[in-house]
Amino acid sequence: MSFDLQRIIESKREMRRRLAGRPVAEKLAMLDALRDRARTILKAATRLETALLRESQPEYRVNPRKD
Amino acid sequence: MYQHRDPVAASSLFSVGKKIDVSVDQIISLINRMEADGIVEHYAIGGAVGATFYLEPVATLDVDIFVAVPQKPGQVLLDLRPIHDYLTARGGVVEGEYIVLAGWPVQFLPPTSPLVEEALADAVTVDVDGTPARVFAAEHLAAVALQTGRAKDKARLLQFVEAGVLKAEHFQAILARHGLVDRWREFERTFLRTMP
Repeated sequence: MSFDLQRIIESKREMRRRLAGRPVAEKLAMLDALRDRARTILKAATRLETALLRESQPEYRVNPRKD
Repeated sequence: MYQHRDPVAASSLFSVGKKIDVSVDQIISLINRMEADGIVEHYAIGGAVGATFYLEPVATLDVDIFVAVPQKPGQVLLDLRPIHDYLTARGGVVEGEYIVLAGWPVQFLPPTSPLVEEALADAVTVDVDGTPARVFAAEHLAAVALQTGRAKDKARLLQFVEAGVLKAEHFQAILARHGLVDRWREFERTFLRTMP
């Protein structure tokens, strides 16, 4: 699989141009959607951070063998 | 409620259902009423929401609205309480520095520099589906970004340059008036030399 980075960059630029050219009312509607997504990502990131902070150290206790 | 007219351009990229609540334009309507009621002399939208009038939309969590408020003779400090009182009476909820309107944290900012004062005075009126909205001119948004100078401001300034929406003569005149020419040269050296 090969990537043409220049083509990828140009297609991104083209998408941004297309979005910039949309009517203002439509772009403001997109802001609402973007904000909701950003909030979802922030919430997920906060949950992940909390989970990582709460993660306890693994226990390495060796139980004595009962023969 | 706002419904996208072009299913390809917007809905496919931001598909959150067939209909999207456009709360930013509800905020604009509310601020227009507040201006008509004399609570603010005039206002203009700045920040990322202001930039969206000229560029592609960029995710932001708040709305920055710059306001000129009527001042009593001898009053030195700007009092934003009348704005807060007006908006809380209409459903706004104060949260720290923000007032939450239609789900958006909105920050009202008095002009803090001659550049922002000028941007507020020279703001343009844009029609948003029949609702007039006052927004900083692109050149002022770019100059304010240059002056503020955080990483995200530099990124926004690059977007303005790349989008080709700045009128060079107007932009240069603003930079000269507000002592930003050297900062702009530095920005050009750092970011624009290798730009395709």
